[in-house]
Amino acid sequence: MAMPLDLLPAGKSAVVVGLQGGRGVMRKLDAMGLRPGRRVRMLSSQFMAGPITVLVNGRQVAMGRGIARRILVRAVD
Amino acid sequence: MGNPNVGKSAVFSRLTGAHVIASNYPGTTVTFTEGRMKVGERACRVIDVPGTYMLEPTSRAEEVAVEMLKDDDIVVNVVDSTNLERNLNLTLQLLNRDVRMVVALNMWDEALEHGISIDVERLAERLGVPVVSTCAISGEGMRELRDTLAHARRAPAPLGDEDRWAAIGKIVDEVQQMEHRHPTIGEELSHATVHPVFGPIFALLVLAASFEVVRLVGEGLIAYVAEPIFEGLWQPAMQRLSAALGSGGFIHDLLVGELADGQVSFGESFGVLTTGFYIPFAAVLPYVFSFYIVLGILEDSGYLPRLGVLADNVMHRLGLHGLAIVPMLLGLGCNVPGALALRVLETRKERFIAATLLAICVPCMAQTAMVAGLLGQYGALGFLPVFGTLFLLWLVLGSVLKRVIGGTTPEILLDIPPYRLPYWNALLKKLWMRMKGFLKEAIPYVLLGVLIVNLLHTFGVIAVLSRLFAPVMSRVLGLPPEAVGALVVGFLRKDVAVGMLAPLGLSLKQLVVASVVLTAYFPCAATFVMLYRELGARDMAKCAAIMLVVAFGVGGLLNLVMTGLGF
Repeated sequence: MAMPLDLLPAGKSAVVVGLQGGRGVMRKLDAMGLRPGRRVRMLSSQFMAGPITVLVNGRQVAMGRGIARRILVRAVD
Repeated sequence: MGNPNVGKSAVFSRLTGAHVIASNYPGTTVTFTEGRMKVGERACRVIDVPGTYMLEPTSRAEEVAVEMLKDDDIVVNVVDSTNLERNLNLTLQLLNRDVRMVVALNMWDEALEHGISIDVERLAERLGVPVVSTCAISGEGMRELRDTLAHARRAPAPLGDEDRWAAIGKIVDEVQQMEHRHPTIGEELSHATVHPVFGPIFALLVLAASFEVVRLVGEGLIAYVAEPIFEGLWQPAMQRLSAALGSGGFIHDLLVGELADGQVSFGESFGVLTTGFYIPFAAVLPYVFSFYIVLGILEDSGYLPRLGVLADNVMHRLGLHGLAIVPMLLGLGCNVPGALALRVLETRKERFIAATLLAICVPCMAQTAMVAGLLGQYGALGFLPVFGTLFLLWLVLGSVLKRVIGGTTPEILLDIPPYRLPYWNALLKKLWMRMKGFLKEAIPYVLLGVLIVNLLHTFGVIAVLSRLFAPVMSRVLGLPPEAVGALVVGFLRKDVAVGMLAPLGLSLKQLVVASVVLTAYFPCAATFVMLYRELGARDMAKCAAIMLVVAFGVGGLLNLVMTGLGF
């Protein structure tokens, strides 16, 4: 069941199933390893709709909620 | 070339000698560093290019990186061994560009710690170019890298563009092996410092510690280096010059300034050679120096991106990127490096907002000292209104500017590198370059400023201005007309303006209003020039207008409020 990345609870892992967004953001996300089929793990999110931090391929990446909202993921165990 | 945060600077530092310069890519505020080394028998220029993820750039820094790539260059592709897959993206794109290349698998030691082992020979085979494993921080592999540069080769990329990630995946599978390891302490700390609760606590500790270090080192330098030089050597020299010029007269007052009780006083004389030298070298430089040391450590250890994430929430509401916290914090020490730090911001809108907020609402050490001097006797009752107003103004003005200025602020999207021990050689080189920059850029303008204020004073311009602005002073701000003199001088040096306000015997309310206006209306001359160079003429004019309107507006408002409250 797909959900936007910003709703993924802390500590849970998920697989990326889709990305939406402007070309520049998409390219950067792609380069950072957020591509369909990749695993991500939610690490933390800042209060009051602040940025979230995820673990991608062993590396921490922080992004704003708006960007996270447009990344669709499917939770896995 | 390489991704951001892969240790390019350390590799660069190892390859080059002491002679390094930082330059601006023409037409941008993007800087790159350049040095020299010998490849075989030939002397070569080495250029450390801004980090980029790919050759289809998404930011100005990346554009510069791409444009700097020329066909007959040898490219040292610095790769983060702990992140092979992501880094190979750029590598394959570079191969496609048909340039001579050597791949440096940097951070080899970290990869080993993480249980990652890479078959270097196999990788070289698959890529078609020489590959060397390196650890720039310890120096391992650097000699090999230097020797290999003479053998840099061109090679076609293993597969076409469309299948790039698949090709990368295959290569990585072939050459890399990962042992599963438990998270190291570094990793745990890494996650913790972005935690919504623990993160800010840690950040405050780091910031407090940083300020303390800066203050101590700065004060130490002033007490043990600057003061002795100025009091011991320069003062007597100036005294002699003063006598030689007849202790008075136009030239004398211009160069040496007015004597206080027959003595040359660096704080009060206002001569180009006295105050004009004293301010940048003895009062500002020590703090700038210590700031840059601390900043370098914060940068190279990898902490700054985390700070940016923690601050992003607030920053975004002001129309700024999280990393804008850096110029704001820097500005608390000295607005000049704060202004320079504006370069971390991508869009014109962000730079404008950050510059305006920095100039108006962020008091530098000199300004803080001024406030302490004027209001110390009142304690918290004096400080709270001043700094509280400035902070509120920061929030309000930022929110307003965010809405009023066209354009959007892009959301934060940052790679957060693991914590690393800074490489001291790279740190020192960075420090050296930044100090050179400060000397070249800030100092001439301070000298010019002193000269101008001096001339204005001599020709009685200040007295005229006092009379002109008297109504504004008294009715709007509730201050005596003499305060105008302090404002003019304040443009040059805020803490010296204290000297002009102190004898006026102002009430608490007047002191608070005067402090806020003095802090808000213009930054010091050096900052003013820096901002002009970062923003350009038109934006700077708008910024200056906002400064004046806001300073006097808020001053007037504050006057009203405090009068109303019975002060």
